[in-house]
Amino acid sequence: MTIKFAEFKAPKGVVKVELELLNERISRISFSGDFFMYPEEAIEKLEESLKGVRADEKDLRAVVKKFYTSTGTKTPMLEPEHWVKAILQAAGK
Amino acid sequence: MKRWRILPLRIDDAFMSMAIDEALLKLNSEGRSPNTLRFWRWSPSAVSLGCFQSVEREVNLGVAKEYGVDVVRRITGGGAVFHDQDGELTYSVVCGQDDLPLDIIESYKLICGGLVHGFQKLGLQAEFRPVNDVQVGGKKISGSAQTRRWGSVLQHGTVLISPDIHKMFELLKVSHEKISDKFITSVFERVTTVERELGRKPSFEEIREAMIAGFEESLSVKLVKGKLTEEELKLAEELRPKYASEKWLRKK
Repeated sequence: MTIKFAEFKAPKGVVKVELELLNERISRISFSGDFFMYPEEAIEKLEESLKGVRADEKDLRAVVKKFYTSTGTKTPMLEPEHWVKAILQAAGK
Repeated sequence: MKRWRILPLRIDDAFMSMAIDEALLKLNSEGRSPNTLRFWRWSPSAVSLGCFQSVEREVNLGVAKEYGVDVVRRITGGGAVFHDQDGELTYSVVCGQDDLPLDIIESYKLICGGLVHGFQKLGLQAEFRPVNDVQVGGKKISGSAQTRRWGSVLQHGTVLISPDIHKMFELLKVSHEKISDKFITSVFERVTTVERELGRKPSFEEIREAMIAGFEESLSVKLVKGKLTEEELKLAEELRPKYASEKWLRKK
């Protein structure tokens, strides 16, 4: 299995994504970068919630949006859409 | 007028400085430390990483080792920073969540307002640039990072006095995305320093005094001289090994 990687330039800062796909689904994902997230621990929840999700724009958007609404996490200048784009870029889509 | 504590300037290594900030945050949230402003310096020079950054992707560890520069992961987000022991004054603010606006950018603006006023006292027209920068003439002269935990807030950041920009370039791996941004052709065009803007290098004490007055204005508080308590120092010493550990550094 190959590790895929992308650097996505958001309006403020860069989101770096490292991921592995298994049958088009995310089997492992790790975000890094110079963003801010309140609370910081939420990044692990976001990564966890993306496991098993198809690398498809609609599916990813639904999961990321649900992450924001269910956890109340705040990421100044970083919108759900930016995570989706970063993941798609890493997945090569 | 509310009274906050101002601590004397300290010079510590990166790990102790991070530990002191966390200790103040923790004890403030427990009602055991007052709201506090402190200024400090780094010895030796260090690179600090944002809490979400990958050390391998951001820092040339071989170069850091060669120069004797420490590398530490912060508990705050944001980017990697080279902290020059002779060219940077660093500040930390710790206070209750209720003492700041709930809105994140507004809270940065209020605290960074202390720096903006401080730079003005030094003769520089500075302005806040959301989320977390202060600029002079469109160039970054200070960057900050904030975390909110346990009901309290820690914000720390830099005052760039005369950092060695070449060393910074050697230590930090600049991302291709950043390089490709058509608005940014080089660090020299987007970062400036107190020395460059004033044409002289003020003493650390002169800058600290200006910033203290600036923070009093921005926060509308009276800053009262105080010292770190035994309890704060003890907790900081307990927390220091975490920051010095490989496990923490290589968390991402």
